[in-house]
Amino acid sequence: MEQLPGVAAEISILHLFWKADWVVKLVMMGLLAASVGVWAIAIDKFILYRRTRQAMKHFENVFWSGQSLEDLYRALAARPTDSMAALFVAAMREWKRSFEGPHPAIASLQMRLEKVMDVTIQREVERLEKWLLVLATVGSASPFIGLFGTVWGIMNSFQAIAVSKNTSLAVVAPGIAEALLATAIGLVAAIPATIFYNKFSSEVNKQATRLEGFADEFSAILSRQIDERV
Amino acid sequence: MRIPLAVSVSIHAAVLAWGLISFGAKPLETTPGDSLPIDIISDTDFSQLTAGVKNAQKVVKPAPLVEKIDKPNPVDDSTAKVTPKQEIKTASAMPMPVPEVKPPEPKQEPEKAKAPEPDPIAEALKKEEAKRKQEEKKREEQKRKEEAKKREEEKKRKEQEQAFDPNKIAALLDKRSPQRLAAAGATLNSTPSLGLPSGSAATLSQSEIDALRAQIQACWNPPAGVVDAKELIVRIRLQLREDGSLSANPTLLNHGSNSLFQIAAESAMRAIKRCQPYKLPIAKYAIWRDVEVTFDPREMFRG
Repeated sequence: MEQLPGVAAEISILHLFWKADWVVKLVMMGLLAASVGVWAIAIDKFILYRRTRQAMKHFENVFWSGQSLEDLYRALAARPTDSMAALFVAAMREWKRSFEGPHPAIASLQMRLEKVMDVTIQREVERLEKWLLVLATVGSASPFIGLFGTVWGIMNSFQAIAVSKNTSLAVVAPGIAEALLATAIGLVAAIPATIFYNKFSSEVNKQATRLEGFADEFSAILSRQIDERV
Repeated sequence: MRIPLAVSVSIHAAVLAWGLISFGAKPLETTPGDSLPIDIISDTDFSQLTAGVKNAQKVVKPAPLVEKIDKPNPVDDSTAKVTPKQEIKTASAMPMPVPEVKPPEPKQEPEKAKAPEPDPIAEALKKEEAKRKQEEKKREEQKRKEEAKKREEEKKRKEQEQAFDPNKIAALLDKRSPQRLAAAGATLNSTPSLGLPSGSAATLSQSEIDALRAQIQACWNPPAGVVDAKELIVRIRLQLREDGSLSANPTLLNHGSNSLFQIAAESAMRAIKRCQPYKLPIAKYAIWRDVEVTFDPREMFRG
Protein backbone atom coordinates (compact mmCIF):
# COMPACT_ATOMS: atom_id res chain seq x y z
CA MET A 1 0.00 0.00 0.00
CA GLU A 2 1.08 3.50 -0.68
CA GLN A 3 2.54 5.23 2.31
CA LEU A 4 1.30 8.65 3.16
CA PRO A 5 3.98 11.22 3.77
CA GLY A 6 4.63 11.32 7.49
CA VAL A 7 4.31 14.55 9.38
CA ALA A 8 7.94 15.41 9.93
CA ALA A 9 7.26 18.62 11.82
CA GLU A 10 9.64 19.01 14.73
CA ILE A 11 7.98 19.62 18.04
CA SER A 12 11.16 20.30 20.02
CA ILE A 13 10.96 23.33 22.28
CA LEU A 14 13.90 25.10 20.66
CA HIS A 15 12.43 24.57 17.19
CA LEU A 16 9.08 25.91 18.28
CA PHE A 17 10.77 28.92 19.82
CA TRP A 18 12.81 29.75 16.73
CA LYS A 19 9.86 29.40 14.40
CA ALA A 20 7.66 31.74 16.43
CA ASP A 21 6.85 35.32 15.55
CA TRP A 22 9.03 38.01 17.19
CA VAL A 23 6.17 39.19 19.39
CA VAL A 24 5.66 35.66 20.63
CA LYS A 25 9.40 35.33 21.09
CA LEU A 26 9.46 38.50 23.16
CA VAL A 27 6.58 37.24 25.28
CA MET A 28 8.34 33.92 25.80
CA MET A 29 11.61 35.61 26.76
CA GLY A 30 9.82 37.93 29.16
CA LEU A 31 7.98 35.07 30.77
CA LEU A 32 11.18 33.07 31.07
CA ALA A 33 12.86 36.02 32.75
CA ALA A 34 9.88 36.38 35.07
CA SER A 35 10.13 32.72 35.95
CA VAL A 36 13.83 33.07 36.67
CA GLY A 37 13.10 36.10 38.84
CA VAL A 38 10.30 34.34 40.69
CA TRP A 39 12.52 31.43 41.57
CA ALA A 40 15.38 33.70 42.58
CA ILE A 41 13.07 35.65 44.90
CA ALA A 42 11.58 32.45 46.22
CA ILE A 43 14.97 30.99 47.07
CA ASP A 44 16.11 34.26 48.61
CA LYS A 45 12.95 34.61 50.71
CA PHE A 46 12.99 31.01 51.75
CA ILE A 47 16.51 31.42 53.11
CA LEU A 48 15.69 34.79 54.68
CA TYR A 49 12.57 33.61 56.49
CA ARG A 50 14.22 30.51 57.83
CA ARG A 51 17.13 32.55 59.10
CA THR A 52 14.78 35.13 60.66
CA ARG A 53 12.71 32.44 62.30
CA GLN A 54 15.77 30.80 63.78
CA ALA A 55 17.26 34.13 64.92
CA MET A 56 13.98 35.11 66.61
CA LYS A 57 13.84 31.80 68.40
CA HIS A 58 17.46 32.22 69.49
CA PHE A 59 16.91 35.83 70.63
CA GLU A 60 13.77 34.94 72.59
CA ASN A 61 15.69 32.14 74.32
CA VAL A 62 18.47 34.55 75.25
CA PHE A 63 16.05 37.32 76.23
CA TRP A 64 13.97 35.15 78.57
CA SER A 65 17.04 33.41 80.01
CA GLY A 66 17.29 36.03 82.74
CA GLN A 67 20.38 37.67 81.31
CA SER A 68 20.85 41.35 82.09
CA LEU A 69 19.23 43.55 79.41
CA GLU A 70 22.19 45.90 79.59
CA ASP A 71 24.58 43.09 78.74
CA LEU A 72 22.36 41.95 75.96
CA TYR A 73 22.13 45.46 74.59
CA ARG A 74 25.86 45.85 74.70
CA ALA A 75 26.35 42.61 72.85
CA LEU A 76 23.80 43.45 70.11
CA ALA A 77 24.07 47.22 69.77
CA ALA A 78 26.89 47.14 67.26
CA ARG A 79 25.06 44.98 64.75
CA PRO A 80 21.55 43.72 65.34
CA THR A 81 21.41 40.31 63.65
CA ASP A 82 17.66 39.98 63.19
CA SER A 83 14.42 41.88 63.31
CA MET A 84 13.63 41.07 66.91
CA ALA A 85 17.12 42.12 68.01
CA ALA A 86 16.74 45.30 66.00
CA LEU A 87 13.46 45.97 67.79
CA PHE A 88 15.15 45.39 71.14
CA VAL A 89 18.12 47.58 70.27
CA ALA A 90 15.91 50.42 69.03
CA ALA A 91 13.85 50.41 72.23
CA MET A 92 16.92 50.16 74.47
CA ARG A 93 18.62 52.96 72.59
CA GLU A 94 15.64 55.24 73.16
CA TRP A 95 15.52 54.21 76.82
CA LYS A 96 19.20 54.93 77.38
CA ARG A 97 19.01 58.21 75.54
CA SER A 98 16.17 59.33 77.78
CA PHE A 99 18.24 58.73 80.94
CA GLU A 100 21.58 59.99 79.61
CA GLY A 101 20.99 63.75 79.84
CA PRO A 102 20.90 65.86 83.01
CA HIS A 103 17.11 65.93 82.84
CA PRO A 104 15.71 62.48 82.31
CA ALA A 105 12.72 62.74 79.99
CA ILE A 106 10.44 60.19 81.54
CA ALA A 107 7.04 61.87 81.15
CA SER A 108 6.25 60.53 77.65
CA LEU A 109 8.95 57.86 77.46
CA GLN A 110 6.34 55.09 77.23
CA MET A 111 4.77 56.69 74.17
CA ARG A 112 8.13 57.27 72.54
CA LEU A 113 9.22 53.69 73.12
CA GLU A 114 6.03 52.38 71.48
CA LYS A 115 6.50 54.72 68.53
CA VAL A 116 10.09 53.61 68.08
CA MET A 117 9.13 49.94 68.26
CA ASP A 118 6.24 50.46 65.79
CA VAL A 119 8.56 52.10 63.33
CA THR A 120 11.08 49.31 63.74
CA ILE A 121 8.42 46.65 63.22
CA GLN A 122 7.25 48.45 60.09
CA ARG A 123 10.78 48.64 58.75
CA GLU A 124 11.43 45.00 59.49
CA VAL A 125 8.16 43.88 57.86
CA GLU A 126 9.01 46.01 54.87
CA ARG A 127 12.34 44.25 54.63
CA LEU A 128 10.66 40.86 54.83
CA GLU A 129 8.03 41.84 52.26
CA LYS A 130 10.51 43.21 49.77
CA TRP A 131 10.09 41.64 46.30
CA LEU A 132 6.99 39.74 47.38
CA LEU A 133 4.88 42.04 45.21
CA VAL A 134 6.84 40.82 42.21
CA LEU A 135 5.62 37.30 42.94
CA ALA A 136 2.04 38.53 43.17
CA THR A 137 2.34 40.42 39.91
CA VAL A 138 3.90 37.53 38.05
CA GLY A 139 1.34 35.14 39.46
CA SER A 140 -1.59 37.18 38.26
CA ALA A 141 -0.24 38.71 35.06
CA SER A 142 1.86 36.05 33.40
CA PRO A 143 -1.08 33.81 32.35
CA PHE A 144 -2.50 36.78 30.53
CA ILE A 145 0.83 37.59 28.95
CA GLY A 146 1.16 33.97 27.84
CA LEU A 147 -2.37 34.05 26.50
CA PHE A 148 -1.54 37.16 24.56
CA GLY A 149 1.42 35.36 23.01
CA THR A 150 -0.82 32.43 22.14
CA VAL A 151 -3.49 34.58 20.57
CA TRP A 152 -0.87 36.41 18.55
CA GLY A 153 0.70 33.16 17.42
CA ILE A 154 -2.63 31.63 16.47
CA MET A 155 -3.55 34.75 14.52
CA ASN A 156 -0.30 34.42 12.61
CA SER A 157 -0.75 30.73 11.98
CA PHE A 158 -4.30 31.26 10.74
CA GLN A 159 -3.02 33.88 8.35
CA ALA A 160 -0.45 31.35 7.18
CA ILE A 161 -3.23 28.80 6.68
CA ALA A 162 -5.26 31.29 4.70
CA VAL A 163 -2.27 31.97 2.49
CA SER A 164 -1.45 28.30 1.93
CA LYS A 165 -5.14 27.48 1.34
CA ASN A 166 -4.58 24.16 3.02
CA THR A 167 -6.36 23.08 6.16
CA SER A 168 -4.53 19.85 6.79
CA LEU A 169 -3.39 19.19 10.32
CA ALA A 170 0.23 19.34 9.25
CA VAL A 171 -0.23 22.99 8.34
CA VAL A 172 -2.32 23.98 11.33
CA ALA A 173 -0.59 22.07 14.10
CA PRO A 174 2.92 23.59 14.28
CA GLY A 175 1.67 27.17 14.46
CA ILE A 176 -0.79 26.37 17.18
CA ALA A 177 1.79 24.31 19.08
CA GLU A 178 4.27 27.16 19.05
CA ALA A 179 1.55 29.58 20.08
CA LEU A 180 0.47 27.35 22.93
CA LEU A 181 4.07 27.21 24.14
CA ALA A 182 3.66 30.84 25.21
CA THR A 183 0.69 29.96 27.42
CA ALA A 184 2.61 27.01 28.80
CA ILE A 185 5.55 29.22 29.78
CA GLY A 186 3.16 31.76 31.27
CA LEU A 187 1.57 29.07 33.43
CA VAL A 188 4.98 27.67 34.37
CA ALA A 189 5.93 31.11 35.63
CA ALA A 190 2.57 31.91 37.24
CA ILE A 191 1.86 28.76 39.22
CA PRO A 192 5.01 28.81 41.41
CA ALA A 193 4.73 32.57 41.76
CA THR A 194 1.20 32.33 43.14
CA ILE A 195 2.06 29.46 45.47
CA PHE A 196 5.18 31.22 46.78
CA TYR A 197 3.36 34.50 47.19
CA ASN A 198 0.65 32.91 49.32
CA LYS A 199 3.15 31.01 51.41
CA PHE A 200 5.49 33.95 51.93
CA SER A 201 2.80 36.51 52.68
CA SER A 202 1.40 34.27 55.39
CA GLU A 203 4.96 33.83 56.70
CA VAL A 204 5.43 37.60 56.81
CA ASN A 205 2.14 37.97 58.67
CA LYS A 206 3.22 35.36 61.20
CA GLN A 207 6.58 37.03 61.79
CA ALA A 208 4.98 40.49 62.07
CA THR A 209 2.55 39.16 64.68
CA ARG A 210 5.45 37.63 66.56
CA LEU A 211 7.35 40.92 66.47
CA GLU A 212 4.29 42.82 67.67
CA GLY A 213 3.83 40.34 70.48
CA PHE A 214 7.44 40.76 71.54
CA ALA A 215 7.14 44.54 71.27
CA ASP A 216 4.06 44.52 73.52
CA GLU A 217 5.77 42.33 76.08
CA PHE A 218 8.97 44.40 76.02
CA SER A 219 7.04 47.64 76.29
CA ALA A 220 5.19 46.18 79.28
CA ILE A 221 8.53 45.38 80.96
CA LEU A 222 9.93 48.85 80.20
CA SER A 223 6.72 50.52 81.39
CA ARG A 224 7.06 48.67 84.72
CA GLN A 225 10.68 49.89 84.96
CA ILE A 226 9.62 53.49 84.26
CA ASP A 227 6.89 53.38 86.88
CA GLU A 228 9.36 51.93 89.45
CA ARG A 229 11.88 54.73 88.81
CA VAL A 230 9.45 57.64 88.99
CA MET B 1 20.10 38.11 46.16
CA ARG B 2 22.88 37.28 43.75
CA ILE B 3 23.26 33.69 44.86
CA PRO B 4 19.53 32.91 44.67
CA LEU B 5 19.43 34.48 41.21
CA ALA B 6 22.33 32.29 40.09
CA VAL B 7 20.59 29.25 41.56
CA SER B 8 17.36 30.14 39.83
CA VAL B 9 19.07 30.69 36.47
CA SER B 10 20.91 27.40 36.75
CA ILE B 11 17.69 25.54 37.66
CA HIS B 12 15.92 27.03 34.65
CA ALA B 13 18.81 26.19 32.39
CA ALA B 14 18.78 22.62 33.66
CA VAL B 15 15.01 22.27 33.14
CA LEU B 16 15.25 23.72 29.63
CA ALA B 17 18.13 21.44 28.76
CA TRP B 18 16.17 18.46 30.05
CA GLY B 19 13.18 19.58 27.97
CA LEU B 20 15.30 19.96 24.85
CA ILE B 21 16.83 16.55 25.32
CA SER B 22 13.66 14.70 26.20
CA PHE B 23 11.56 16.36 23.50
CA GLY B 24 14.27 16.78 20.91
CA ALA B 25 15.53 13.21 21.08
CA LYS B 26 12.31 11.81 19.72
CA PRO B 27 10.46 14.24 17.51
CA LEU B 28 6.80 13.40 17.61
CA GLU B 29 6.54 11.70 14.30
CA THR B 30 3.15 10.43 13.41
CA THR B 31 3.20 6.91 12.11
CA PRO B 32 2.13 7.16 8.52
CA GLY B 33 -1.17 5.42 8.02
CA ASP B 34 -2.02 3.25 5.06
CA SER B 35 -3.68 5.21 2.35
CA LEU B 36 -7.20 4.19 1.56
CA PRO B 37 -8.46 4.36 -1.99
CA ILE B 38 -11.46 6.63 -2.01
CA ASP B 39 -14.01 6.92 -4.77
CA ILE B 40 -16.20 9.93 -4.85
CA ILE B 41 -19.69 9.01 -5.92
CA SER B 42 -22.77 11.08 -6.39
CA ASP B 43 -25.84 10.54 -4.27
CA THR B 44 -27.52 8.94 -7.23
CA ASP B 45 -24.75 6.40 -7.42
CA PHE B 46 -25.06 5.86 -3.72
CA SER B 47 -28.79 5.30 -3.88
CA GLN B 48 -28.26 2.74 -6.60
CA LEU B 49 -25.81 0.76 -4.50
CA THR B 50 -27.13 -2.43 -3.09
CA ALA B 51 -26.43 -3.00 0.54
CA GLY B 52 -23.98 -5.73 1.38
CA VAL B 53 -21.36 -6.94 3.75
CA LYS B 54 -17.82 -5.82 3.12
CA ASN B 55 -16.19 -9.18 3.72
CA ALA B 56 -18.85 -11.28 2.07
CA GLN B 57 -17.90 -13.80 -0.57
CA LYS B 58 -17.76 -12.55 -4.07
CA VAL B 59 -20.65 -13.77 -6.11
CA VAL B 60 -21.04 -14.00 -9.81
CA LYS B 61 -22.28 -10.79 -11.27
CA PRO B 62 -26.01 -11.07 -11.87
CA ALA B 63 -26.70 -11.42 -15.54
CA PRO B 64 -29.92 -10.66 -17.37
CA LEU B 65 -32.12 -13.46 -18.58
CA VAL B 66 -30.98 -14.63 -21.97
CA GLU B 67 -32.63 -17.45 -23.82
CA LYS B 68 -30.83 -17.25 -27.09
CA ILE B 69 -27.64 -15.74 -28.23
CA ASP B 70 -28.40 -12.73 -30.31
CA LYS B 71 -28.39 -8.99 -30.19
CA PRO B 72 -30.09 -7.92 -26.96
CA ASN B 73 -33.71 -7.09 -27.48
CA PRO B 74 -36.02 -5.36 -25.04
CA VAL B 75 -37.79 -7.78 -22.77
CA ASP B 76 -41.49 -7.20 -22.63
CA ASP B 77 -42.49 -6.34 -19.14
CA SER B 78 -45.27 -8.67 -18.25
CA THR B 79 -46.29 -6.50 -15.33
CA ALA B 80 -46.54 -3.37 -17.36
CA LYS B 81 -50.05 -2.47 -18.26
CA VAL B 82 -49.08 -0.14 -21.00
CA THR B 83 -47.56 -2.00 -23.87
CA PRO B 84 -46.64 -0.69 -27.22
CA LYS B 85 -49.50 -1.23 -29.57
CA GLN B 86 -49.01 -4.33 -31.57
CA GLU B 87 -49.94 -4.34 -35.15
CA ILE B 88 -52.90 -6.56 -35.51
CA LYS B 89 -53.01 -8.40 -38.75
CA THR B 90 -56.55 -8.62 -39.82
CA ALA B 91 -57.80 -11.49 -41.84
CA SER B 92 -58.58 -9.30 -44.79
CA ALA B 93 -55.12 -7.89 -44.89
CA MET B 94 -53.50 -11.27 -44.87
CA PRO B 95 -52.66 -12.63 -48.28
CA MET B 96 -55.16 -15.33 -49.14
CA PRO B 97 -53.65 -18.68 -49.80
CA VAL B 98 -53.78 -19.04 -53.50
CA PRO B 99 -55.69 -22.18 -54.27
CA GLU B 100 -54.22 -24.41 -56.79
CA VAL B 101 -56.13 -23.65 -59.88
CA LYS B 102 -56.94 -26.82 -61.56
CA PRO B 103 -57.11 -26.60 -65.27
CA PRO B 104 -60.73 -26.77 -66.16
CA GLU B 105 -61.56 -30.23 -67.18
CA PRO B 106 -62.46 -30.25 -70.76
CA LYS B 107 -66.03 -31.12 -71.32
CA GLN B 108 -66.80 -34.49 -72.54
CA GLU B 109 -67.13 -34.01 -76.20
CA PRO B 110 -70.04 -35.60 -77.86
CA GLU B 111 -67.63 -36.84 -80.45
CA LYS B 112 -66.57 -39.44 -77.94
CA ALA B 113 -69.32 -41.69 -79.06
CA LYS B 114 -68.00 -41.72 -82.48
CA ALA B 115 -64.84 -43.32 -81.40
CA PRO B 116 -64.69 -46.24 -83.72
CA GLU B 117 -64.79 -43.98 -86.64
CA PRO B 118 -61.39 -43.85 -88.06
CA ASP B 119 -61.42 -40.27 -88.30
CA PRO B 120 -58.37 -38.09 -88.16
CA ILE B 121 -60.25 -35.95 -85.76
CA ALA B 122 -61.25 -38.96 -83.74
CA GLU B 123 -57.75 -40.17 -83.86
CA ALA B 124 -56.54 -36.93 -82.62
CA LEU B 125 -59.16 -36.93 -79.92
CA LYS B 126 -58.24 -40.39 -78.88
CA LYS B 127 -54.70 -39.44 -78.70
CA GLU B 128 -55.62 -36.48 -76.68
CA GLU B 129 -57.71 -38.53 -74.37
CA ALA B 130 -54.95 -41.02 -73.87
CA LYS B 131 -52.70 -38.16 -73.08
CA ARG B 132 -55.17 -36.73 -70.65
CA LYS B 133 -55.63 -40.07 -68.99
CA GLN B 134 -51.97 -40.40 -68.63
CA GLU B 135 -51.78 -36.97 -67.14
CA GLU B 136 -54.58 -37.77 -64.77
CA LYS B 137 -52.83 -40.88 -63.71
CA LYS B 138 -49.70 -38.97 -63.14
CA ARG B 139 -51.50 -36.41 -61.10
CA GLU B 140 -53.18 -39.04 -59.01
CA GLU B 141 -49.90 -40.67 -58.33
CA GLN B 142 -48.43 -37.40 -57.31
CA LYS B 143 -51.33 -36.77 -55.02
CA ARG B 144 -50.89 -40.12 -53.41
CA LYS B 145 -47.26 -39.48 -52.99
CA GLU B 146 -47.96 -36.21 -51.38
CA GLU B 147 -50.47 -37.73 -49.06
CA ALA B 148 -48.01 -40.42 -48.05
CA LYS B 149 -45.44 -37.81 -47.42
CA LYS B 150 -47.87 -35.83 -45.35
CA ARG B 151 -48.81 -38.87 -43.35
CA GLU B 152 -45.24 -39.70 -42.78
CA GLU B 153 -44.53 -36.20 -41.59
CA GLU B 154 -47.44 -36.28 -39.27
CA LYS B 155 -46.30 -39.57 -37.93
CA LYS B 156 -42.88 -38.20 -37.41
CA ARG B 157 -44.24 -35.15 -35.68
CA LYS B 158 -46.40 -37.27 -33.43
CA GLU B 159 -43.46 -39.39 -32.60
CA GLN B 160 -41.50 -36.35 -31.83
CA GLU B 161 -44.21 -34.97 -29.63
CA GLN B 162 -44.62 -38.15 -27.73
CA ALA B 163 -40.97 -38.85 -27.22
CA PHE B 164 -40.08 -38.13 -23.60
CA ASP B 165 -36.72 -36.51 -23.37
CA PRO B 166 -35.66 -36.13 -19.72
CA ASN B 167 -33.34 -33.35 -20.76
CA LYS B 168 -36.20 -31.25 -21.93
CA ILE B 169 -38.31 -31.24 -18.79
CA ALA B 170 -37.83 -27.54 -18.37
CA ALA B 171 -38.88 -26.94 -21.92
CA LEU B 172 -41.88 -29.21 -21.46
CA LEU B 173 -42.88 -27.43 -18.31
CA ASP B 174 -42.50 -24.10 -20.00
CA LYS B 175 -45.98 -22.69 -20.27
CA ARG B 176 -44.93 -19.73 -22.33
CA SER B 177 -45.96 -19.72 -25.86
CA PRO B 178 -43.25 -20.90 -28.17
CA GLN B 179 -44.04 -18.01 -30.46
CA ARG B 180 -42.94 -15.41 -27.90
CA LEU B 181 -40.04 -13.10 -28.44
CA ALA B 182 -37.16 -14.82 -26.74
CA ALA B 183 -34.92 -12.66 -24.58
CA ALA B 184 -31.71 -12.39 -26.48
CA GLY B 185 -28.31 -11.49 -25.23
CA ALA B 186 -24.65 -12.19 -25.52
CA THR B 187 -24.58 -15.26 -23.30
CA LEU B 188 -27.21 -17.76 -22.35
CA ASN B 189 -28.54 -17.38 -18.87
CA SER B 190 -31.61 -19.20 -17.68
CA THR B 191 -31.69 -17.75 -14.16
CA PRO B 192 -32.24 -14.04 -14.31
CA SER B 193 -31.29 -11.85 -11.38
CA LEU B 194 -33.92 -10.27 -9.25
CA GLY B 195 -34.48 -6.78 -10.45
CA LEU B 196 -36.25 -4.47 -12.75
CA PRO B 197 -37.21 -5.62 -16.22
CA SER B 198 -35.10 -2.85 -17.69
CA GLY B 199 -32.05 -4.21 -15.92
CA SER B 200 -30.77 -0.87 -14.72
CA ALA B 201 -31.42 0.52 -11.28
CA ALA B 202 -32.79 3.85 -12.24
CA THR B 203 -34.07 6.26 -9.65
CA LEU B 204 -35.78 9.55 -9.89
CA SER B 205 -33.25 12.19 -9.10
CA GLN B 206 -34.07 14.96 -6.66
CA SER B 207 -34.62 17.44 -9.46
CA GLU B 208 -37.05 15.08 -11.16
CA ILE B 209 -38.97 14.60 -7.96
CA ASP B 210 -38.99 18.35 -7.62
CA ALA B 211 -40.27 18.65 -11.15
CA LEU B 212 -43.17 16.34 -10.42
CA ARG B 213 -43.78 18.20 -7.20
CA ALA B 214 -43.82 21.55 -8.94
CA GLN B 215 -46.18 20.27 -11.62
CA ILE B 216 -48.67 19.00 -9.09
CA GLN B 217 -48.24 21.98 -6.84
CA ALA B 218 -49.21 24.32 -9.65
CA CYS B 219 -52.73 22.88 -9.65
CA TRP B 220 -53.21 22.25 -5.96
CA ASN B 221 -55.30 24.53 -3.82
CA PRO B 222 -54.41 23.33 -0.36
CA PRO B 223 -57.08 23.77 2.29
CA ALA B 224 -56.08 27.13 3.70
CA GLY B 225 -56.25 28.13 7.31
CA VAL B 226 -56.92 24.76 8.84
CA VAL B 227 -56.06 24.15 12.46
CA ASP B 228 -54.60 20.68 12.55
CA ALA B 229 -52.71 20.64 9.30
CA LYS B 230 -50.82 17.60 10.51
CA GLU B 231 -53.97 15.52 10.34
CA LEU B 232 -54.61 16.54 6.76
CA ILE B 233 -51.63 14.80 5.23
CA VAL B 234 -52.91 12.93 2.20
CA ARG B 235 -51.00 10.14 0.51
CA ILE B 236 -52.08 9.28 -2.99
CA ARG B 237 -50.93 6.63 -5.38
CA LEU B 238 -50.54 7.69 -8.97
CA GLN B 239 -50.38 5.35 -11.90
CA LEU B 240 -49.12 7.02 -15.01
CA ARG B 241 -48.84 6.22 -18.65
CA GLU B 242 -45.73 6.78 -20.62
CA ASP B 243 -47.12 10.03 -21.94
CA GLY B 244 -47.53 11.26 -18.39
CA SER B 245 -51.29 10.97 -18.20
CA LEU B 246 -53.06 8.98 -15.53
CA SER B 247 -53.62 5.38 -16.41
CA ALA B 248 -56.00 4.83 -13.54
CA ASN B 249 -57.86 6.85 -11.00
CA PRO B 250 -55.51 7.95 -8.24
CA THR B 251 -56.13 6.00 -5.08
CA LEU B 252 -56.13 7.36 -1.59
CA LEU B 253 -53.67 5.50 0.63
CA ASN B 254 -54.44 6.88 4.07
CA HIS B 255 -57.49 7.98 5.94
CA GLY B 256 -57.90 10.65 8.52
CA SER B 257 -60.24 11.19 11.38
CA ASN B 258 -60.36 14.91 10.85
CA SER B 259 -63.59 16.20 9.43
CA LEU B 260 -61.67 18.21 6.89
CA PHE B 261 -59.65 15.25 5.70
CA GLN B 262 -62.11 14.35 2.98
CA ILE B 263 -61.94 17.87 1.63
CA ALA B 264 -58.17 17.83 1.63
CA ALA B 265 -58.11 14.45 -0.07
CA GLU B 266 -60.51 15.61 -2.73
CA SER B 267 -58.50 18.75 -3.39
CA ALA B 268 -55.39 16.62 -3.81
CA MET B 269 -57.21 14.28 -6.18
CA ARG B 270 -58.44 17.22 -8.22
CA ALA B 271 -54.93 18.61 -8.41
CA ILE B 272 -53.58 15.33 -9.69
CA LYS B 273 -56.28 14.95 -12.29
CA ARG B 274 -56.06 18.53 -13.43
CA CYS B 275 -52.34 18.60 -13.96
CA GLN B 276 -51.89 15.61 -16.17
CA PRO B 277 -50.06 14.88 -18.36
CA TYR B 278 -46.89 15.14 -16.29
CA LYS B 279 -43.61 15.71 -17.98
CA LEU B 280 -41.11 13.21 -16.67
CA PRO B 281 -38.09 11.53 -18.22
CA ILE B 282 -39.35 8.68 -20.34
CA ALA B 283 -36.17 6.71 -19.66
CA LYS B 284 -37.20 6.26 -16.07
CA TYR B 285 -40.79 5.34 -16.77
CA ALA B 286 -40.36 2.17 -14.78
CA ILE B 287 -39.88 4.31 -11.70
CA TRP B 288 -42.63 6.83 -12.10
CA ARG B 289 -45.13 4.45 -13.59
CA ASP B 290 -46.47 3.95 -10.11
CA VAL B 291 -45.58 6.62 -7.56
CA GLU B 292 -46.81 7.70 -4.20
CA VAL B 293 -47.23 11.39 -3.54
CA THR B 294 -47.69 12.96 -0.14
CA PHE B 295 -49.70 16.14 0.17
CA ASP B 296 -48.77 17.98 3.32
CA PRO B 297 -50.58 21.29 3.82
CA ARG B 298 -47.88 22.39 6.27
CA GLU B 299 -45.13 22.53 3.71
CA MET B 300 -47.42 22.77 0.76
CA PHE B 301 -46.47 19.36 -0.40
CA ARG B 302 -43.84 16.72 -0.50
CA GLY B 303 -43.18 14.14 -3.22
